[in-house]
Amino acid sequence: MVKQHFMKRISNLLLPLVLLASASAQDWIKTGTGLGVEKVRIAVPDFKASNSDPRNADLLKTFNDTLWNDLDNAGIFEMVSKSFYPLGPVGAPGDVKFESWNAPPPNAAMLVFGNLAAAGNNINVQGWLYDVKNIASPQVLGKQYTDAATTQAAGMIAHKFADEIILRLGGGVNGIAETQIYYVSARGGHKEIWAMDYDGANQHAVTTLGTISLSPHISPDGSRLAFSSFTGAGWEIRMYSFDLNRLVSFTKIGGTNLSPAWSPDGTHLAFSSSRSGDPEIYVVDQSGANLHRITSSKGPDVSPTWNRKTGSQIAWVSGRTGLPQVYTMGSDGTNVQQYTDQGYAVSPAWSPNGQFLVFSWMRHYGAGAPGAQDIYIMDVVSKQWVQLTHDGGRNDFPSWSPDGRHIVFQSTRSGSTQVWEMLADGSNQKQLTNSGNNSEPDWSWK
Amino acid sequence: MASTEIFFERGRWGHDLAWSAALHIGVTVAIVAYAWVATGRNGSNWGAGGGGSAMGVSLVSNVPLPANPVQTENVLATESKGLSKSKPQPVVEEPTAIPIAEKNAKKKPVPQPTATQRQPRPQPVEEASNVVPFGGGGPVSGPYAMFNAGAAKGGFGFTGGGGDFGSRYAWYVRVVNQKVSENWLKYEVDPRIQDANRVYVTFDIERSGRPTNVQVEQSSGVPSLDESAVRALQRIDTFPPLPSDYSGSKVSVEFWFDYKRSF
Repeated sequence: MVKQHFMKRISNLLLPLVLLASASAQDWIKTGTGLGVEKVRIAVPDFKASNSDPRNADLLKTFNDTLWNDLDNAGIFEMVSKSFYPLGPVGAPGDVKFESWNAPPPNAAMLVFGNLAAAGNNINVQGWLYDVKNIASPQVLGKQYTDAATTQAAGMIAHKFADEIILRLGGGVNGIAETQIYYVSARGGHKEIWAMDYDGANQHAVTTLGTISLSPHISPDGSRLAFSSFTGAGWEIRMYSFDLNRLVSFTKIGGTNLSPAWSPDGTHLAFSSSRSGDPEIYVVDQSGANLHRITSSKGPDVSPTWNRKTGSQIAWVSGRTGLPQVYTMGSDGTNVQQYTDQGYAVSPAWSPNGQFLVFSWMRHYGAGAPGAQDIYIMDVVSKQWVQLTHDGGRNDFPSWSPDGRHIVFQSTRSGSTQVWEMLADGSNQKQLTNSGNNSEPDWSWK
Repeated sequence: MASTEIFFERGRWGHDLAWSAALHIGVTVAIVAYAWVATGRNGSNWGAGGGGSAMGVSLVSNVPLPANPVQTENVLATESKGLSKSKPQPVVEEPTAIPIAEKNAKKKPVPQPTATQRQPRPQPVEEASNVVPFGGGGPVSGPYAMFNAGAAKGGFGFTGGGGDFGSRYAWYVRVVNQKVSENWLKYEVDPRIQDANRVYVTFDIERSGRPTNVQVEQSSGVPSLDESAVRALQRIDTFPPLPSDYSGSKVSVEFWFDYKRSF
């Protein structure tokens, strides 16, 4: 009797708990590997003009081209060719005929469409991202933008919209359409630091020091640019502030100081300095205080780069065994590991997810050897490497994009040293700069 | 008279008693003294062995015990609990979920799970293996798909909590699938394994896209495969944020990993 009563009591207690648990039940997704996930087929018809303002034509051209290029460059979409699109402009959700998009010939999975109108001093852009295979509830994104009625603003809106699409469909990683690349350009006579958009647009000078400035590296928050500059007495680390739009002071170190590298939290800089005679790696606070040395071996130690995921390791180039090779160590100098053991390896760059090192390597170096210098990518755990460039020229100074899908580097294959960009698997290599000599690119962190 | 003689004839037991007591005390003192000396005068060597060999103890979880395909209890008490338990849902819900708008469908599971919670897994397991991947037999309203990729077969199955998440946000499921598959490093699996059973891993995705609560729901029997699956999830910082018009605070994912050595 007591037992029955007791069981009843227990079940009375448990029942509401169970109900409560199930009332807040969340949805389940069940899926798995081997399901053949390919790139998303995305169709991007031109945006329509939603009023008859005469400025619309130019603005639309810039907008449509920029949007198409951003989505194409992202590396995660298969762009459905415009020749397959059904006729008739698509400017609003009512214009979308699902059967004509999700069936062959376009056979698209996603559709981007919208309209643009200039009115007064502003442009208004409405954009949608539709899942055309899901007729019941297709909308993934619906956005509205307003900005000044200039082509530059139209381009910025296109970048923003493309980044939103890439964020949703690309696995939670931000798109790179609004990122910048900092590089060295000699087109003004002296080697100065320049900046440009990630697609090569808007190239402009940042420094005008009239001397030689090298190895620009932007801070993780984008507010300061560290670089190395020849000051007449030697090479020193200089700091440029984008908040103040001028150089700010940084400690004078002495000797030859090159290739400053920011830790991912922005609190430290690593660089190589020959103040003790032989170039060694030093770490300093971002204010210039607490300078301390972390390598001490014979032979040059240069080109440090931090592990961007953890901030607790540094990869660098050391000549301690003769020719320069890539090594890694803890950020305090302990636990040195060698990653290459042949040829001539320089300029390592650590990927944002911490899994890969990309560097420039002459695997066959020496008298009589072919001497091709190419970009290689190496898995940090397994030390397996893959060659990314094959098309000749000297390829050097690779740098990762913040989404970990693109690499920017310098190449001489076109005859002069220019900045090139490619996807992280070596495909889609394209030239970003054309005039003068442009080198040592560094991609911003966001 | 007789009694006093006894006393007179007191034998030498007093002498013997004294000897006995002395010897007893001596032995006791000797034991105490030995203990005191042998253990370092202040007990510092208590328990010190004579150089016996230590036994290494390994964690039970590292020992490759045969996989027990019983559902673990550490998944949230929702109505869908993996293969055998989720089977009832599609049969019950699918016919009614379709015509009703998504908003109502979310309220549906509240009365239902009490019935299923009470059933101690009545379904035979072998039915589950070919039903769940193919969408539970419901009418083809959501974007169910079947793929045949190399040696692995599978498909999307969307079941759960009145959940039409999968049918509404198929694009999100696709992104989750791609991201996990990308981050799965197959070389972490013991190279001696040719192919293995599926390992099922469950995790939740919060609104911000962050994966949490990664658990191995059903082991494949190969510890290195289970670990590589969990590491794949751990490698992922974040998925895209949950769709903005989805009203839930998080979504649960059951992800399976099929391993087959390709050479």
